[in-house]
Amino acid sequence: MGAEQAWLLAAVPAGMFIVLALLGRYLPRGGDYLGVLAIGTSFVLFFFVLADYLDFYDLEAGQTAITRVINWSQVGSFDIDFGIYVDQITIVMLAVVTTVALMVNIFSIGYMKDEPRYWWFFALLQLFAASMLTLVMSDNLLLLLISWELVGVCSFLLIGFYWEKRSATEAAKKAFVTTRVGDVGLMTGIILLYREAGTFNIQHILEMAEAGEFNETYLFVALSFIFMGAMGKSAQVPFHVWLPDAMEGPTPVSALIHAATMVVAGVYLVARLLPAYEVADNTLIIITIVGLTTALLSGFIAIVQTDIKKVLAYSTVGQLGFMFVALGSGNTTAAMFHLMTHAFFKALLFLGSGSVIHATHHHQEMTDMGGLWRKMPITGTTFFIGSLALAGLPPLAGFWSKDEILHAADEHWGLWALSLLSFAAIVTAFYTTRLFIRTFMGKPNNPEIYEHTHESNGFMTIPLVVLAVLAVTSGFVIFREVGEAIGFPGGFSEFVFLHEPHHYEIDWTLAATSFVLSFVGIYLGAYIYWGGRLTLSTRAAEFQPRIYEMLRSKFYFDELYQWAINNVVLGFSFVTSWFDRYVVNDTGVDGSAQITGYTGSVLKYIQTGRVPNYAMAIALGVVLLAVAGLAVRG
Amino acid sequence: MVPMENYLALSGILFALGVYGVLARRNAILVLMSVELMLNAVSLNFVTFAAYLDPDRILGAIFAVFVITVAAAEVGLALAIVIRLYRVRQTANVDEADILKW
Amino acid sequence: MATEVLWWIFAVAVVATSAGVVFSGSVIHSAIFLILSLAGVGVMYVFLTVEFLALVQFLIYGGAVTVLILLALMLTRLGSPGRPERLTSGQAPFAFLVGGGLAAILVGVAFATDWRENIPDSPINMPLQLISERLFEDFSVAFLLAAALLLVAMVGAIILARQEEGE
Repeated sequence: MGAEQAWLLAAVPAGMFIVLALLGRYLPRGGDYLGVLAIGTSFVLFFFVLADYLDFYDLEAGQTAITRVINWSQVGSFDIDFGIYVDQITIVMLAVVTTVALMVNIFSIGYMKDEPRYWWFFALLQLFAASMLTLVMSDNLLLLLISWELVGVCSFLLIGFYWEKRSATEAAKKAFVTTRVGDVGLMTGIILLYREAGTFNIQHILEMAEAGEFNETYLFVALSFIFMGAMGKSAQVPFHVWLPDAMEGPTPVSALIHAATMVVAGVYLVARLLPAYEVADNTLIIITIVGLTTALLSGFIAIVQTDIKKVLAYSTVGQLGFMFVALGSGNTTAAMFHLMTHAFFKALLFLGSGSVIHATHHHQEMTDMGGLWRKMPITGTTFFIGSLALAGLPPLAGFWSKDEILHAADEHWGLWALSLLSFAAIVTAFYTTRLFIRTFMGKPNNPEIYEHTHESNGFMTIPLVVLAVLAVTSGFVIFREVGEAIGFPGGFSEFVFLHEPHHYEIDWTLAATSFVLSFVGIYLGAYIYWGGRLTLSTRAAEFQPRIYEMLRSKFYFDELYQWAINNVVLGFSFVTSWFDRYVVNDTGVDGSAQITGYTGSVLKYIQTGRVPNYAMAIALGVVLLAVAGLAVRG
Repeated sequence: MVPMENYLALSGILFALGVYGVLARRNAILVLMSVELMLNAVSLNFVTFAAYLDPDRILGAIFAVFVITVAAAEVGLALAIVIRLYRVRQTANVDEADILKW
Repeated sequence: MATEVLWWIFAVAVVATSAGVVFSGSVIHSAIFLILSLAGVGVMYVFLTVEFLALVQFLIYGGAVTVLILLALMLTRLGSPGRPERLTSGQAPFAFLVGGGLAAILVGVAFATDWRENIPDSPINMPLQLISERLFEDFSVAFLLAAALLLVAMVGAIILARQEEGE
């Protein structure tokens, strides 16, 4: 078993999906243990792949990637080769996906216990894992596109899992349609690249781009379209509107898909193609601006949300923005590093909130909570760790990765980017603290709910603990010593890089700055929300009610889109339906039939039934023919 | 001494008169008489050509013989039909047999 | 010279009687005119030196066909008086036009066409010998078929005109 068999990581869950889909409802316990078994197998197999890969890895000799290709079909001169491509980025993604998926599967056994269609949930989790793993391993854009769409389908099915609820189906539709709009861009970009490159193979395209074989503007346009697809999937402004609504799905889904794995597909894609983006470097500024806007916007919205899942959703959107800023600064290391740490602590936070929701019997509003730490110590502690990681407090994982991004932005763009990003970081820390304090600390707002709350069972708490450990420790892999100790050729920055590995040295000024930022945010949050000084925030809200409303209404994006749909899309469809009904159908189809019928009803009178008339017709015809013949003859 | 064209013109006029009769006469028997006229005109035409242009093989005359033969047979049959029609419809007018109309 | 004048007399006679057939107001008159017209054509055959054909014409047409027609007229009670029926249909004007057009075309073509150069002035004599040779040697099959045709026509006519029981 080596890295060339990495495709098994996707094949096992895929096979289990089929088994569960067909037989799941008949199996005892809905086959949940089978699901865990499948993902667990992938998790274990990952280590084999990792070992084999590290063995093979030799930077000086240029050996950094393992591939295995199958020729799928050949139609004329159109070859489709499907293959896997395992390099450093792939390894990181495989680690993240298998780990978080395994934790989520275990958690779901506890969380989804009495839910309807229990077996189908696990089947879908398998399908999702298989698709996501395929996505990160695929060596060509076509296979990537296929698995991209597949994860979108899984997201749709899982968001709408509770389809008895109207809001869930609406949210699923919204997610799918919004990402579809982005996918139009993705497909356009892929087709444009294929047209010039003649291949879907990613590495070939990158080589061609670096050799300058693309027309610069053409490359810029194609990559911008691809970025549009990434924006859709990764919920960047203005495509972010689907992610908060996606919280209608079960919380394990939110943890897996909408925090750690699917939404980072956009980040992964851009990271993969970053060498090409660097060649068409006008794209980088666009990516950075989008990331910054998203980070700031989502932060502002998050500070006024009262649903704990919504806060985390907007937080995810913002953190993805951070990752794009890193990519826009040409730094794959920072982006992938933050992707990894974020996956761990965000999944932790989501699963923690799931634990809370389960314990309070499906209440999600912070206004119903408070003081839950006493009742749910494990959840509370792990949530605390996750919050600190998100806020970026050293020495937790979030600190190191966020610091890297700030460093990248400063280096590439300068002070303005750094300032904006820092502000976003403060806001992040602020709303995270707000979330934690209002949920777990202080006096309970709803004594009834508080009464019935209790700590969740082992299936739920164990993943929380595991993820908490990762949230604490995964930051340290940035250091060369730590990396080498676990068998890597160095720290994270010596393993994942854009052009060259670079040795990580702590930039003490920047480190101090980020520490201050997170501390300021935490302090502000604590100041306002701890000790019941809630009145400060209420006063702030009343001070500028319009701004508060704007934030509450998420900057009116949904209203704008709905208006556009109502007036533009539906208006246009009214026109086309009118055209279809009255021109195509009534005039064209019915019309030609009616003309025929009418002509027939008029012409039928020629059939008088009287022979003399017919004889006349014959004679007349003969005479006319004779005349015509004579005329032609001259 | 009579040029060929004269005969041809004569047969043409006869034919045209026959056509008029077929189209304009109401009684079936009158129509039949007009058809006889037409047939005669045609025979005359053929014999003319045979006489002036093809004296060795006189195909036209032979043709005329057969035309006369067949015309006789045809008249017999046609009149039988007319009698039949008269028995059924009490009329021999061709423009009153119009059941097969629109 | 005499031939010409004679020809012209008979030609006019033929045309006149034929016109009488189609324009006459009485059916019996039309029948009589038909006999005369057919006889006239027979005379034309004489001018064309196929006397045999003239004989056949007189016999068949004048003898058989016209008798048949008169018989049919009797049977359908059209000859008797007290039956004033319109004999010319509504489309007579158009028929006139068509007929007139046809006549014009045919006559015009007859005179305007460039027949071949060495047309004899008068018809060449066609002996009876020639006719019998053609009929019995070259076209014997057709001859026999014509005979069969006549038989079939006779049988058919009998069947068609038969009066069923109780009719």
